[in-house]
Amino acid sequence: MTQSNVTTSVNTETSNQRNALTRLASIQSLQIALVLLVIFLVFSLLAPTIFPQWSNLRQIVQNVAILAVLGIGMTFVIITAGIDLSVGSVLVFSGVVSAKAMQALGSQGWGTALVGVIVAIGVGLLWGLLNGFLVAKAKVPALIVTLGTLGAALGLAQVITNGVDIRAVPKELSDTVGYGNVWGTTIPLITLIALILVVIFAVVLHKTKFGLHTYAIGSSEEAARRVGVKVDRHLIAVYALSGGLAGFGGILSLSQFGTTAIAGQSQTNLNVIAAVVIGGTSIFGGVGTIFGTMLGLFIPAVLQNGFVIVGLQPFWQQVAVGTVLVAAVFVDQRRRNAATRGASAKAKNSLTALWSKKQ
Amino acid sequence: MKSNRHLVFLTTIGAVAALSLSACAAPSGDGSVGEPDEFNLTFIQGLAGEEFYITMQCGVEAEANKLGVNVNTQGAAKWDSTLQKPLVDSVVASKPDAILIAPNDVTAMRAPLQAAADAGIKVILVDTTVEDPSFATAEISSDNTGGGLAGFDAIKELNPDGGKVLIIGTDPGVSTTDARIAGFEEAVKADDSFEYLGVQWSRNDPAEAAKLVNAALAKDPDIVGIFAININAAEGSATGVRQAGKEGSVNVVSFDAGAAQVQALRDGIIQALVAQQPALIGSEGVAAAVSALKGESVEKKTQTGFQVLTLDNIDTTGQDYIYKSSC
Repeated sequence: MTQSNVTTSVNTETSNQRNALTRLASIQSLQIALVLLVIFLVFSLLAPTIFPQWSNLRQIVQNVAILAVLGIGMTFVIITAGIDLSVGSVLVFSGVVSAKAMQALGSQGWGTALVGVIVAIGVGLLWGLLNGFLVAKAKVPALIVTLGTLGAALGLAQVITNGVDIRAVPKELSDTVGYGNVWGTTIPLITLIALILVVIFAVVLHKTKFGLHTYAIGSSEEAARRVGVKVDRHLIAVYALSGGLAGFGGILSLSQFGTTAIAGQSQTNLNVIAAVVIGGTSIFGGVGTIFGTMLGLFIPAVLQNGFVIVGLQPFWQQVAVGTVLVAAVFVDQRRRNAATRGASAKAKNSLTALWSKKQ
Repeated sequence: MKSNRHLVFLTTIGAVAALSLSACAAPSGDGSVGEPDEFNLTFIQGLAGEEFYITMQCGVEAEANKLGVNVNTQGAAKWDSTLQKPLVDSVVASKPDAILIAPNDVTAMRAPLQAAADAGIKVILVDTTVEDPSFATAEISSDNTGGGLAGFDAIKELNPDGGKVLIIGTDPGVSTTDARIAGFEEAVKADDSFEYLGVQWSRNDPAEAAKLVNAALAKDPDIVGIFAININAAEGSATGVRQAGKEGSVNVVSFDAGAAQVQALRDGIIQALVAQQPALIGSEGVAAAVSALKGESVEKKTQTGFQVLTLDNIDTTGQDYIYKSSC
């Protein structure tokens, strides 16, 4: 009985606070959406016959799919004020174990592929549980825990394979998930799979108690604990989610590249973290949206694609993304300072002002 | 407060727009304008900013100038097929007439390049290759197996009595280095006076290679020869030998001839270099692309040779084989 009372009070308390905060977060989403739109329009003007064509956009959404799956988990983790540096390594490790399992089963057929998918997700979950346990129970900072598992997972992947990539991937997987289209269209199947996961977990984050508790822990772990949120268990679940999604990313990567690509995914963790932060999720926790993360993923992807098409060295992409990243965190800092000064009402006014000026 | 936020937002958009505009300013000078039958080529390096690929780029640009075709060079900052694939996809979307590429992985890069060939783009594989490259117009690379043999011969010349030898590789699954290792292994196993200690993978990172060499020398202090498979492995191996204080007793023979390797050769840390001819690979690649675009017949597979560089010839006949860091 006391439990339910407590839960209700958390709900009202945090949702009041959250209303103001999500409204502010959505401003950043809006700003990022506009930045993306501007980039899109600039490239469309520069290369009207190439850039805005579906054949080009199709490969952008295809290449972003795996990062999007990882971005979901990372958004949850960062909203709890944590970080998960291990996603790229967990992806590779899960891919390796899954490829080993599929190799043992003969490497072909849908049954084998299904086993591969389950093994990959399972292995990823285990790494996530380990991360979560060390963060929540052993109280080791998330940065250190996941830096450790980053190295450990990659190292073990190399131990298992002697560093030699496994290239035995069922043809069924690479022909459908890897390079196939949704039946009757030219939409890449891998993009649809990622999109479904994004929608499911966006609902989980924004519409369920699980999501609410994620925000509550990120806003104040101590406050969440005092009002009865099972913080440790929740943190373990959030890291397990990130690990499980990375494991699923492993099977997607196997399907797409046809190899475990052990040497690959070296920058994946940083790219995903950058996308989450550009998308308006606060690195200090408590604020963030899955939609923002998706926008944050497209900025580097569109920039790189556009730069290649207009014939500029893609090094410029890193400069541009770096600029946007720092600007995004700067805006977040401003917002936090305003919030601690209790200026959320004023901030709301400024939104109105911004909006009316825009029109 | 509010004007600040507004400002940040506008600055961000401004910065992106400015960058994008500067992006368009750069290529338009040598790009778009031209006769209707002018060919556009894109050269995708295996790794941006590495002397081997820069030298190849020099060869590509020189030949392109000579033949009057446009060429645009792209490359990812790391040797990583997960970074190279989106790059290739974007290049394919820009619809060049031909792509010259050094693929990062024999399996992972196959499907994207097949897609390029299916889109009607001539694909020329330079340096590295992929599994079943039947879609490619031409393949131009060093005779890497022969290069491995040459590397062993160089070690043998330096250590006529034999002993323990080690290979410092980069990553498994790279067609060129796999062939070099195969060539070296074949030769070392045929010679009873040498004991082969296997390959250590340095992940194309000099710091990693130095650590591996240190550890290997701790385990087997009597190693007489190290065959380093490329520039990064060689730089790291030289550092590792020096850290262990083994200069002179361990002979390092390196594939490739970058500036740092040549310096190490002069300093006596590396004893011999097996130089490839990247500029020749690049110019042959452009020539093959242009011939194919004009409908002429093209040699499907071309292999280029090597030059072994030592202190004896580095300032004379070997001079032209040193890789460049800018054209």
